Amino acid sequence: MGLESKPHYMTTNYTKKFDMLLVIPLAIYILLIVGIILSAFIKITPEAVASVFTNPAIWDSAVRSFVTSLTSTALALVVAIPAGYILSRRKFYGHDLFDSILDLPIVMPPLVIGLCILLFFSGTTIGRFLDRGLSTMLADTIGWKSNSAGFFIFNVGGIVVVQFVVGCAFAVRVIKSAFDELDSRYEDVAMTLGATPWQSFRKISLPNALPGILAAAVISWARIFGLFGPIHLLCGTMRYKTEILPTTIYLEYSVGNLDGALVVSVFMIIISMITLFIFKKFGGKMY
Amino acid sequence: MKNFSITINKGEYFVLTGKNGSGKTTLIKLIAGICQPVEGIIKINGVDMTNVPPWKRAIGYLPQDGLLFPNRTVQKNIQFGLEVRGAGYDEINSQVDKVVEMLDLSNLLKRKPQGLSGGEKQKVCLARALACNPDVLLLDEPVSAIDEKAKIIYCQKLKSLQKELKITTLHVSHNSLETEFLADRVGVME
Repeated sequence: MGLESKPHYMTTNYTKKFDMLLVIPLAIYILLIVGIILSAFIKITPEAVASVFTNPAIWDSAVRSFVTSLTSTALALVVAIPAGYILSRRKFYGHDLFDSILDLPIVMPPLVIGLCILLFFSGTTIGRFLDRGLSTMLADTIGWKSNSAGFFIFNVGGIVVVQFVVGCAFAVRVIKSAFDELDSRYEDVAMTLGATPWQSFRKISLPNALPGILAAAVISWARIFGLFGPIHLLCGTMRYKTEILPTTIYLEYSVGNLDGALVVSVFMIIISMITLFIFKKFGGKMY
Repeated sequence: MKNFSITINKGEYFVLTGKNGSGKTTLIKLIAGICQPVEGIIKINGVDMTNVPPWKRAIGYLPQDGLLFPNRTVQKNIQFGLEVRGAGYDEINSQVDKVVEMLDLSNLLKRKPQGLSGGEKQKVCLARALACNPDVLLLDEPVSAIDEKAKIIYCQKLKSLQKELKITTLHVSHNSLETEFLADRVGVME
């Protein structure tokens, strides 16, 4: 007869009472989350679903939501991959300051971010040039005509900017964490084998950090897909123009169509669950 | 590292021992070009390499735990150096075949590093370094993570290959038996 042990993460007789005490708050919180989500699901009626899915304005809003959020996610990755890599691999002058500034869009209230972006585009020379001057220039040179006075304020460009500002910070954090977990000595070895820094990044670091990069894309997209406050502030909620799914919920609710708001909400909950599943599947970690 | 000077003769197997923290690994990294010296010079084959980047130094570097690239099969690991140097398909194949035969790795080529034993990993690392025909081989405790039996076989192979290829080798080790068996000359860092 030999000695066998339970895995170390399992409760032992000695810690059972203590563990049960700790599980109680966790169970209460889990019940709360599940209860909140279920309350949305059980209130839905087939008629409400049918009315939402036959409403062209909501389809338009859904398409705009996906197009803007996917564009912003792609832009965020373009910035976050090199930024996450350099922050992970090198210590440079201003490194810690850069690192702290990156946390600002994560910890700042979203509405404040929206207000700051609005002030930037309306109250600074460079912001006004980007918002209005650029569209005038394009109208003069190539005949491009915007359906709004500017590129960003009360226009779709503003949705992308807000989503990018918020999503990029998340993406940088997750991608930095992915590079942190990858031993930097792989790159050292690659360079001694003849690879330039670019080759060692492209052939070794990037493929090995790919699950983390995909996780970053998923979590950033999920975060910006549901953004409401700052987008509402900068772009308004104009049907067929700047409406996206979170603002649809607000619009439907404000005109008393609670059923419609509920169906769109449940649709967004399902999307969140799927993205969370994918994020976990790729082993994504925030820090 | 201060007031330090070392000369390793061409084709020599030099084993460096010494206490932990004495700077053995730092020395290897300096020669490989992974670290840059604040002052002093590093010469390889009489040429000043102090400010030459690692990818232009013709170095074969084996860190303690091998560090095979996890996203590549054994074969892709071995041919990595040739690939990034822009070698042609035929050159890559012939060079890979050569080192695979030397180290008897033909049955591992399609495998990923995750499934290899410590000894197998180190053999593949050596093959990867040798495939690029390095002027200098830098070995940072390459057998410390291998079991005793595999260690003896690996050291014998290492010694015979070094003699056959006449590659100047700097080997950092803690093990006195290993040092005695492999070294043409031994240095101790204080």
